[in-house]
Amino acid sequence: MKEKLKVKSSKLEVQKIFLLLATCYLLLATVSSCVPQKEKVYRKSKILMDTLITISAVSDSGDKADLAIEKAFSEIEKLDKLLNFFSDKSELSEINKNAGKKAVKVSPETFEVIERAIYASEKTGGAFDVTIGTEITLWDFHNKVKPEDKAIRERLSLVNYKGILLNKRASSVYLNKKGMLIDLGGIAKGYAADKAVEVMKKKGIKSGLVSVAGDIKAFGLKPDGKPWKIGIKNPRAKNEDDEIMATIELTDMAISTSGDYERYFIIEGKRYHHILNPKTGYPADGCRSVSIIAKDGAITDPFSTGIFTLGAEKGMKLLEEMGLDGIIVDKDGKIHTTSNLRGKIEIRGSQGQKRNN
Amino acid sequence: MRLEVRRGKKEITEGTTVADKLLIVALMIISLSGFIFIKNVFPQGTDVRIEVNGKSAYRLPLNTDTTISVKGVIGDTVVEIKNRKVRIKESPCPNKICIHNGWVDRGAIVCLPNKVMVFIGGSEDRQNKTIDAIAG
Amino acid sequence: MQLQDKYRIALLSAYAIAIHSFENLLPTPIPWLRLGIANIITLATLVLYGFRSAMMVTLIRVILSSIFIGTFLGPGFIMSFGGGVISTLAMGLTFSLLPRLFGPVGLSLIGALFHNIAQLFLAYVLFVQKLEPILIVSPILILLGTITGVVNGFIGGMLIKNIVKRSNS
Repeated sequence: MKEKLKVKSSKLEVQKIFLLLATCYLLLATVSSCVPQKEKVYRKSKILMDTLITISAVSDSGDKADLAIEKAFSEIEKLDKLLNFFSDKSELSEINKNAGKKAVKVSPETFEVIERAIYASEKTGGAFDVTIGTEITLWDFHNKVKPEDKAIRERLSLVNYKGILLNKRASSVYLNKKGMLIDLGGIAKGYAADKAVEVMKKKGIKSGLVSVAGDIKAFGLKPDGKPWKIGIKNPRAKNEDDEIMATIELTDMAISTSGDYERYFIIEGKRYHHILNPKTGYPADGCRSVSIIAKDGAITDPFSTGIFTLGAEKGMKLLEEMGLDGIIVDKDGKIHTTSNLRGKIEIRGSQGQKRNN
Repeated sequence: MRLEVRRGKKEITEGTTVADKLLIVALMIISLSGFIFIKNVFPQGTDVRIEVNGKSAYRLPLNTDTTISVKGVIGDTVVEIKNRKVRIKESPCPNKICIHNGWVDRGAIVCLPNKVMVFIGGSEDRQNKTIDAIAG
Repeated sequence: MQLQDKYRIALLSAYAIAIHSFENLLPTPIPWLRLGIANIITLATLVLYGFRSAMMVTLIRVILSSIFIGTFLGPGFIMSFGGGVISTLAMGLTFSLLPRLFGPVGLSLIGALFHNIAQLFLAYVLFVQKLEPILIVSPILILLGTITGVVNGFIGGMLIKNIVKRSNS
């Protein structure tokens, strides 16, 4: 009888020890598992679409962020395969090859980009025009060769966005003149940023930043609760310290900048850059740089190019009319900002650029 | 259930012995000095990461002078590390923008045509505390 | 081997497997970083029934738990196998060579330390192959191993005392 009691009590003690052990470790485990689950920015860069693309994702898990970023990259890669002007196998090349011959059935993405490009053309009165492709092939910015005036003039008749005929039901695109070429360089990057953001959101990422060269789309807030801070390049930067002309904080917005400093050469004091005026076939000379802020990259990208061509005065007018935000550095270096942006944008002191309200 | 201690002669030392305490102290000292050692030997932002075509190719310390030839898409890019700075010394690309970048001690150098990216690790984050991306 | 020994090993292994599997469910910041609660059983077995039993319990625990969890022969299994065997070996050697020097806490610490050393070595050889990350995580693992080692040692000591008291009565 006595023995039985003893065994019982010692059994109870063993149970006690196990209980103590369990609570002790549960506490420890909860504490240790709470600490590392902090939101962080995960960032990755890749070279795609012939440019540097950087994608950031805010997540509490590196694996989740990595997966979303990789998915976003493969979406961009897919778009690049469809929209690449230089690749023979792209859908875009298929449209161009069949210019004046027949309508080409394309994927919904290709159709949508061209549709949105035409929208930008209409709004800017043709100052943005994707059929500029035929003129662009004349210019060689690597070897700094200016094409002959005659050649530029001859091809001008092939530049007209109204010659793009879309058939929504058949999802087909037709260029009505032989020799017409669509170059989506002025819209594909912004569109790609939109799509990449979409993919990341689908993968459960609530906040991030996609930058496809100068076309950036931000969504959500950074882990510190602040919006994303975007720097706008100084078009005439002399050194690293004045590289940034202004900064702006963005969330759920896209920004694109077009500048005459990206690809250019200078002959006899004149700057020849890559933004060609669809009306003349020559580089547009109204501005040094134009930045546009709107909901979609597929808006900001073509409008920054189109307004660059329009020039500061007409450009500002169009922006205010459409309710878009923008910063224009005109050919004299004056900075113009839309009224809505004042107070939101922080302009850094830089030489040679006067503020003009 | 019956359990018994088989090795009666090897009596168990109950409680904590002096050696136990010394061991605790020794391990604490080892791990703490390990922390300090690592802080000194691997300060953050001092490695150079080279990626080719989106894949990590090399990881080099910034504090050791080296010259390395990296096989890119169109040819060999020569990356030089010297005095805690990095530059692209030679490149097969047509526009040589990467070479014109010169010596860099933070951020990244990119050669688009050859798909070579040189990142100076860690420092990227320091720089990005102020700006997250650059438009243009 | 006596029948009684077999019972004992089976019982202790069952405890160890239960603890090991439970522990595996707890989230940890670094993979393979474990609290090492199952080491309490190994420790008690070693002190009470000798090295052979302890090693047997460890092997049974590592192999069977990995089958239950579904990591058998995977990387996680290799890590826990290496860690378990080396730490049991280290504790066993210490206990038979220097029987009175260390108490349960010291033995547990030695077990934890060698568990970490073995896992870092395996991680280096099998997965990382770079010295830098291994060196960076070492102090953290040693520190955490010390903390959990002390706690496990105390609990192990209590368990041993309890069993001894019971079997003497």
